[in-house]
Amino acid sequence: MYVYLYDNFLRGRKFESTIKAIETRLTDFEIAGKIVRLQNFVNPQAIIEEEIKKGAKVIVIVGNDHTFGRVLSQGAVCNILFGFLPVGPENSIANVLGIPEGEAACEVLSQRRKVNLDIGWVSNRNRYFISQLHIPPSDIVVEYDEKFKVVGRNKKMELVVCNLQPFVWNDKNNNLVVHPQDGKLEAFLRPMSGRGIFKDKFEDPSVFPFEEMTVSSDKPFEVEADGKTTKETKIVIKLAKKRIEMIVGKERQF
Amino acid sequence: MFQKPSPEIALSHKDNHMRPHDDVETIVGPSVHVEGDFSSEGNILVKGIVSGNVRTSKLFTSEKGSKVLASVKAGNSIISGAVKGNVKVDDRLELTASAQVLGDIECGILVVEAGAMIRGKVSMKGVASIEDPNQSKKPSLIRKLKEGEEMPAE
Repeated sequence: MYVYLYDNFLRGRKFESTIKAIETRLTDFEIAGKIVRLQNFVNPQAIIEEEIKKGAKVIVIVGNDHTFGRVLSQGAVCNILFGFLPVGPENSIANVLGIPEGEAACEVLSQRRKVNLDIGWVSNRNRYFISQLHIPPSDIVVEYDEKFKVVGRNKKMELVVCNLQPFVWNDKNNNLVVHPQDGKLEAFLRPMSGRGIFKDKFEDPSVFPFEEMTVSSDKPFEVEADGKTTKETKIVIKLAKKRIEMIVGKERQF
Repeated sequence: MFQKPSPEIALSHKDNHMRPHDDVETIVGPSVHVEGDFSSEGNILVKGIVSGNVRTSKLFTSEKGSKVLASVKAGNSIISGAVKGNVKVDDRLELTASAQVLGDIECGILVVEAGAMIRGKVSMKGVASIEDPNQSKKPSLIRKLKEGEEMPAE
């Protein structure tokens, strides 16, 4: 049985025709199922566990990158096959997974091409992160794979850990490209060189692929993972290999 | 006007970058200090300071102004900074004009640009197989004399 988790923003008139077209197409493929609407303060993990008990075999996320991150950051602990129907703006993860937007995604879903995805795990609140984790400039010390420690000479450093989205660092001379699903997480570290009038100045970034990383500081620092912000003094970031089973498209980028 | 710092400022997503990428690149930035043994399966580029052994099976590059305060082991290497330790490279080692190596070098192919500084022993693969023709004759001469034969006239 297929269960479709609709993001709340899809109630808008703008998406009415797309949703209707998707539902018709799903009926054509005989994969239509129960629709559950995600309210703002609902825990997706509880919904997924409830639906598994009721006999759900596939959980399909309908929405954009935020919906995808919100559902999987908590729902990744559930052992079930996930699907994704991208609708609306800010849909870059779908591109990585090779899923076209709107109605065309139904075909990918019906083909059931399954892949196990690596995702990131962060120790605070025992959560997963799907797209990226960000720590704004702070006095942090980073230890990689319990082997070596990285310290900024100017003390304050910004940290970005990329997971499912390929990113390009736009440098003056060269472009750094980070690719998803290569068996490692990539961490970008930028020491702050000073404060400007409009924005902070940063030095050239350092890039380290890793499987486990510990970030610590004497003072609490902000951690933003898939849109959720918390304050921590020590976190452990790990790669959760092959954690999610996901239906992907033929045109996926890994 | 006053933007909250976000990764999007630094890292922008581009849809047109679909090229497969197999080399994992590790970069040690110019104002970063790495302490401890440091190994990678991909290429390593050092612009800052590394206090610990560096190990990679692929390319190790150190830029001008960088410092590595321990031994380096790599598949190939281009050194433009300072290395205080032994350098062992399986294939090709290139020392540019600004390179400084304070330690022994072991490599397959060595390229040294004018101005590069080395203080240490340099040994290369393949040198041991070249034998001195005079030295190779001596053992056979001793053997013949032991058997009681006369010494051949020069």
